[in-house]
Order: sequence, then structure tokens, then C-alpha cells
Amino acid sequence: MKLIRREFLNKLGIGSLIALFAGQLYMWIRSLFPNVSYGKLRRVKIGNPQDIPEGMTFRNDLKVYIFRERNTFHAISGVCTHLGCTVNHVNLSRPKTVRIGDRDIEVRSEFHCPCHGSKFYGEGTNYTGPAPRPLDWIELEIAPEDGKLVVDLDRKTTKNFKLTV
Amino acid sequence: MEPNVKELKKKTNGRELFWTLKPKSEKEAGESIVRNLLLHWFPAKTMLKSLSWSYSLWLGTISVALFLILAVTGVILMFLYVPSVERAYQSVKDIEYVVSFGWFIRAMHRNATHLMVAVVFLHMVRAFLTGAYKNGVGVGQNRPLNWIIGIILMLVTLFLAFTGYLLPWDQLAYWAVTVGTDIAKKVPLVGEQIRYALLGGYEIDQNTLIRFYVLHCFLLPAFVLILISYHMWRVRKDGGLAVVDSIVLNENKENKSNGSKSKTYSLLGLTTGRTVQVETTIRDEEKHTVNSVPSLTRRIGLVLLGTFVFVVIMSLFIGAPLEEPANPDVTPNPAKAPWYFLWLQELVTVTTFTIGGITFD
Repeated sequence: MKLIRREFLNKLGIGSLIALFAGQLYMWIRSLFPNVSYGKLRRVKIGNPQDIPEGMTFRNDLKVYIFRERNTFHAISGVCTHLGCTVNHVNLSRPKTVRIGDRDIEVRSEFHCPCHGSKFYGEGTNYTGPAPRPLDWIELEIAPEDGKLVVDLDRKTTKNFKLTV
Repeated sequence: MEPNVKELKKKTNGRELFWTLKPKSEKEAGESIVRNLLLHWFPAKTMLKSLSWSYSLWLGTISVALFLILAVTGVILMFLYVPSVERAYQSVKDIEYVVSFGWFIRAMHRNATHLMVAVVFLHMVRAFLTGAYKNGVGVGQNRPLNWIIGIILMLVTLFLAFTGYLLPWDQLAYWAVTVGTDIAKKVPLVGEQIRYALLGGYEIDQNTLIRFYVLHCFLLPAFVLILISYHMWRVRKDGGLAVVDSIVLNENKENKSNGSKSKTYSLLGLTTGRTVQVETTIRDEEKHTVNSVPSLTRRIGLVLLGTFVFVVIMSLFIGAPLEEPANPDVTPNPAKAPWYFLWLQELVTVTTFTIGGITFD
């Protein structure tokens, strides 16, 4: 192949020009992806297990409902699976029995989404409204260093995960 | 025969996606100007003399190139900067030390600013020394007006640079702006009010920061953009760079001696008579002109690229400074206005005189 000098220099010039601008473009775009996040923490120690009150506690900063039955803890996300509004916890005046899957379960409370009317049973299963799936269950764990209860929003877990302390 | 006609049709009915920068005919060269919004600024033909590197040194084009660099890097910085007294310093510190390439983008912005102030000033010096502010013999010329627009552009550039100075909210920024706005106070009669309006109070605080931010990021750049557009359009109206006028003058001398007249056109060749006076200023146009595409566009491209490369290389070696956070209680020594305000500072000094016990500024 015969290389003509003028063509070669042309290509070299245009090539380095493209490389230059591509490099700049990369820098500009890369700079917009933060290396440090000053947002809210996703993994939080919420306190000693014995200090958490019996029944339901809502953590507004985490949008998580924490439930305690004596020594057993579980957590359900308060974020509606439809479009992310925060659901309200509603205690039923009298318990009702519903069939979820192949089991009959007594339901004492529900979650109601104020935005588009989705409703969930107390253990998270959606039964009416636009929500496509049950509320997420969040994994709980005990911090090995100080025995405090830890919520990790990035660790979704299977339904009926319960932590006994 | 058939494909040729088709191709010609395709090329002439304006449906092409890209204009050509390598025209093969006079027609193509003209069309690549007409079809391109940006190149519309330029005439289809450019005077050979105005393309000279050594006449204008292309300082105006370099200024525009620097302005473009500032606009792009500025937008990036706007995504990363928070104009609040509590958070401004921290966000700039993050840009400098945490954000990927943040230090580089900030250095480019800073260096391009200083260069722009210098280059715009040199551009003015060039226009002054070559007498480009004077009218030639062309019809409808108003070069003095463009000179005044240029002066306004220079002042806006200074103000743009100055408003950006405060934004990092470090000691350098705070005290430079303290000194700078104190210069504004020396304006006769309304100086005090100007400073008050500029600062949004009697001292530099949140009001000042948000004022400077809005001026720096929106109002002044928009103003510069409008003025640059008008500045460019006027250059074209005035028949190109001032160097062209000398050609016309020389030709007219020749014409007088050999008795020939210049051509006269009516408006677009449509109106009868000479209701609107449009005259060609040069008789032998062919001799003095070249197609703008590619002769002019190539040089503009080179100047843009050269400026860009220069700023990039400069920013690799010279970073933007960031001192400790602004502290109104500690005045660093020396507290100085930016270098481009030195003349104002000295002007204030030399125009201050004391008669009896009264000091006049």
C-alpha cells in the first residue's frame, strides 16, 4: 500500500483532533459522576435490640418499618413498589383472615399507599391497586462489634425473614 | 447522464445533512456558507488581505475561542458548584480534590479567563494601532460604533472575570472582591450605591455570592453573546476587517486617474433606480478575494484548535489556586484586587487628592 504523505498527515491531524476532543469529552462527563456521595447512608445502626419498642416502629429517614415481637425482629420497606411513595401503616379494627399463596393468614394491619391507592397486607403482599409486587423485606443483622441492630437498605431479603436475638 | 443529474439535484435542493468544507466548485463554496447557520456570519468570499496572520494576529477569534472554552467548562462547573456561603468552599474543594478531572476543568476555566482578559485587551490595542476604529470609504460603514461595542465587550469581560473571582469563597476570593468593590465605591456621587447594589448589603455575604453567581453564569455571558454577535455582524457590514479599506482607497486613486467608475447595484437587482445605495467598493474583486470555505474556515479552525491546545497544556502545569476558606476577620497581606484591576486601583490613587482636610476621589 502506498502511503501519500499529504493523506497521512491529514489523517494524523484529524485523528489527533478527534482523540483530543474525545479525551476532553470523557473528562467532562466523568467529572459529573461523583466519587463521594454526601447523601443518606444506606446501612445504619438503629440501636440496641432491647431498646427498640415492642410492636411497630417507623424510621422516617430510612423509610423502613421495624417490627418487634419479644426477641424477634423483622423489617419491611415503606417504599411502595408502584412509584416509590411512602406507604402508611394502618391497624385494622378487627383482624381478618386472608389466603396468601396456599396458606390462610390472620392479618391485623395493612399498608396503604396514599398516592395511587395500592394496598398491602401487614406482611407486605399487595392485594389491590397498581402496585406490581409485594413490599420489600429488608435484612436485619446484629453488628458483631457492639451488638446493635443494623438495617441495610441494599440487602433485600425473602419474605418472612425474621431475626431472633 | 442520469445519475449525474440526480446527484446534482441532491446537492442543490438543500437536503444535504452536512455542508462541505472541501468545495469542488465556486457554487459549492458559496453554498456551504449559506447552508450553515454558524458560517452565515461570514461572507461567501473573503478578502485575501484580511486572512493575514500578521495583520490582526487573529486576536478576536482567539477571544471567541476562549469564550467557548469558558462556556463549556463553566457549564460543567455549574453542575458541581453550590452557590451558598456554607457550601461554596466545600464544593470547590471537592471539585479540586474529589471530582475526577475537576482540578483540570477548573484550571482550564481559570486560565482561559485570564487569557481572555489579556487577549481582548490586546485585540483592542491592535484595533487602535492599526486605526481599525476609523471609517473607510464604504457605504454604510460605522466602525467607530463597533469600536465602542468593543470597549463595552472589554468591560463586560472584566466584570465577568471579576464576578467569577468570588465564587470559590476562599480568602483570595473574599479579599480580592472586598478590594475590588471598594474601587467601585470611588465612583463619583453614586459609588456608595453601586457597591451596595453589587453586594446586596454593606458587606460580602450570601446576597453578594448569589448576585455574583447569577451575573457570572447567566446575565453577563448572555450579554457577551449578544454583543459578540453584533460585533461580528458589524464587521461584515463594514466590509470586513479595516485592512480592506486601504485596498479600496488605493483603487479609487487609480480609478480617478484612469476615469472609470465603480459598479452600482439596486437592492437585490429588484428595485428600479437607486433608492437604496448598494455599491461594490472594489472593482477587481476576483483579484483580492478567495472563497471563505475553505480558506477562512480552515484558519478559524486552526485558531480554535490552537487556542484549545494552548489552554489544555497550560492547565496541565498551572492550576487554579484555592486558599483557606473566606474569613472576614482575618485580612491576608497583601489583599489585592485581580491583576486586571491594577489600573483602576492606581487610577483611584492618582485621582485622589486632598485639599485642606477634604479628600476628593
